Amino acid sequence: MNGSEDENSDGKMLISNDRYLSAGIHIGTQQKTEQMLRYIYKVRSDGLYLIDIQKTDEKIRDAAKFLARYDPSKILLVSTRQYGQKPIVIFAKSTGAKAIPGRFVPGTLTNPDLSCYQEPDVLIATDPYADQNAVREANIIGIPVVALCDTNNVLSNVDLAIPTNNKGKGSLAFVYCLLARSLLAEKGIETFDYAISDFEAGGELM
Amino acid sequence: MTKTKAIENCTSCNVRLVEAGFTRFPCPTCGETIARCVKCRKQAIRYICPNCGYEGP
Repeated sequence: MNGSEDENSDGKMLISNDRYLSAGIHIGTQQKTEQMLRYIYKVRSDGLYLIDIQKTDEKIRDAAKFLARYDPSKILLVSTRQYGQKPIVIFAKSTGAKAIPGRFVPGTLTNPDLSCYQEPDVLIATDPYADQNAVREANIIGIPVVALCDTNNVLSNVDLAIPTNNKGKGSLAFVYCLLARSLLAEKGIETFDYAISDFEAGGELM
Repeated sequence: MTKTKAIENCTSCNVRLVEAGFTRFPCPTCGETIARCVKCRKQAIRYICPNCGYEGP
């Protein structure tokens, strides 16, 4: 994805509103939680809560700035969700972070005897509910947690929430692509050789 | 790891950080250290950066 061609004309948002809407980032769920209320734009007639895209964009930029302060090899991404697995692998590949797609082995962050033991400085969870084991272990060892949160998520043990649709194939690919691009841009690397389609689940994991 | 200033109290509730499970991290916008105690993390209590006013989570 080329950074300049997708830049919104006013330069304030990472990408145009239409691109956000077409990726379905604003689509929430029919449940809402108290903590996610401030990120909800409105409720549709069928009871579906819609996420405020401006806030999503703002939070992606904040998260990119935040992650840029850490060594990329100390960033760990987890996704138990099927559609989040390829995006995190490509994110890890493009930024130098580490990813655990699929099952998170209990003790990965807390048990030094395990062969898969890791000591990250920050955790990125695709869904704080589905990845609750990883979030809990991050809480035990005291590292900050960045999480993609939908309208039905509780922000318990989450330190930086990115309000977005964390269930859709397209939206997860879109968010991780934007996050990776912004993270590299924050580090001063302007070239980003991946398209959103590269992040999208469906093909084989790389 | 990013060097974070060792502040002793939670940014939200000002309790001393003694119980395991607290965290310190740089503010996403200004880099000022933010600390959160276990309870504030668990109950998702809002934190405000003392330097720039950034609100989270």
